[in-house]
Amino acid sequence: MPKSINLHPFTVLALAAAVVTMATAANLWWVSCAVLTACALVAGWTGHLRRLAVLSASILIPTFASLLLIHGLVSQDASGLIAAAGPFRVTVSGLETAMVLGLRTAVLVVAGLLCTLLIDKHQLVAAIDLSPAPPQVGYLLAATLFLLPHMAEKQRTIGQAQALRQAGTGRGLSGWFQRVRLRAVPLVLASLQDAHDRSAHLSARGFPAAGSHARLRTVADSVTQQRVRWVALLFAVLGPIAILAPFWGSR
Amino acid sequence: MSPNLLLPEETSSQVLRRRLLASAGTLLLIGTYLVLVITQPTGIAEGLGQGVALVTFAAYLAAAVMLLVAVLPDLPVSTLTLIPVALALNIILGQFVGSVMVPLYLDSIGTVLVGFLAGRRAGAATGVLSTLIWSLFAPTVLPFAAGAALVGFLAGTAARFGALRRPYLAPMAGVVAGVLVGVVSAPVAAFVFGGTSGVGTGAVVAAFRSMGDSLLSAVTKQALISDPGDKAIVFLIAALLIYALPKRLSGSFDFIRRYRVLGQRGTK
Repeated sequence: MPKSINLHPFTVLALAAAVVTMATAANLWWVSCAVLTACALVAGWTGHLRRLAVLSASILIPTFASLLLIHGLVSQDASGLIAAAGPFRVTVSGLETAMVLGLRTAVLVVAGLLCTLLIDKHQLVAAIDLSPAPPQVGYLLAATLFLLPHMAEKQRTIGQAQALRQAGTGRGLSGWFQRVRLRAVPLVLASLQDAHDRSAHLSARGFPAAGSHARLRTVADSVTQQRVRWVALLFAVLGPIAILAPFWGSR
Repeated sequence: MSPNLLLPEETSSQVLRRRLLASAGTLLLIGTYLVLVITQPTGIAEGLGQGVALVTFAAYLAAAVMLLVAVLPDLPVSTLTLIPVALALNIILGQFVGSVMVPLYLDSIGTVLVGFLAGRRAGAATGVLSTLIWSLFAPTVLPFAAGAALVGFLAGTAARFGALRRPYLAPMAGVVAGVLVGVVSAPVAAFVFGGTSGVGTGAVVAAFRSMGDSLLSAVTKQALISDPGDKAIVFLIAALLIYALPKRLSGSFDFIRRYRVLGQRGTK
């Protein structure tokens, strides 16, 4: 059973932003590996390790493969040649570049996905509602997160209904296109009709509400967390500048 | 008068603030793009390379968020209820197409639908929101928010100038939109991620690199191959879906009526 952490969603996001920007600016393989290990430890402690590994792998495996193709197999560096055949040139620096870029992306992906797993979606919506962001943002996030499983279920139901009437059973590209059409058209038309019906009810209730209004859900926050957020944001902005400043002089 | 009788009208200072935000976002996007293309920073993985990556990421994301904040309060409720449907469609249809190994994305179909039905500002807002929410599941899409906004903006612009009045005009508009989106998104792929995140597109970039192209040039050429075709198909599918909508429903959007987006088709 995954544990929940009692932190304000913005605190988690601010800490992740600071970690990602500073690890990217540092550009050291061991810093990236340390961040990835720390993320794995947090995920393991909160019971999200397996999910984090699966989600991260689905993004990072194609990314590493792509970087190896672009930088590892067709390197334009003249030195450190390992192998060459026709247009392919594998060099030490090319492989290093692919690894550094892959680790840079891995930090963003793993830290970002860990935030998604740690943050409760309802808390995030409530936090956005309580923030100075336009009130429409909270509605749009909440409505999308609700609609995603609802529409996925509706799509499955439409698919089953089409299979029952033996429609869209063809093979090959034309069969695939027919299946997409038979699922997508009823899904889109029904969803647009639902959205149209909802808008009349929301308009009648004065949406979006301006000014402050009562909320049943509260988001736990504290002065310490607010300070942590400010410090994390300062680190996210000033940290990379401090790390990269020596390179400006050496250019 | 306010479109909603229950809400107060906006003050001129609020309108001015939103226009300034939209202008600042657009200028930031254009400025960052021009600086990257003109200077073509080298050494993406060492020295200041990571600084270029961070600045590109931050500037493109900030520009997209500024445009979103500027546009969002201006959208009517009928458009606001449409946007979550579009976001869910982007994700569900994108995942379905991805799961059957067909070399298409179709992950901007909802954004283009909103652009066609509710105009370019709504399309741009949908593009940014779609990226922000999708980034909860795939953080690498985050810096592409400005490109997604451009897709929605161009879809709305194309609809406004008659791309839906004839079925063959929609894919032609999609090709033009694909070229522009590919060119704008290429610096993000090159300088933030060092190429692309897909194996198929990575192979195309590698092929151009082996011919001696710079990374930005190779990624731009790959985008110019992939994006126009994808956007042509997306624009065509979105247009066909809108033709299939009941007139009562499509006619309920002010944008469709005001600019006679569907031409004769909308009045029959």
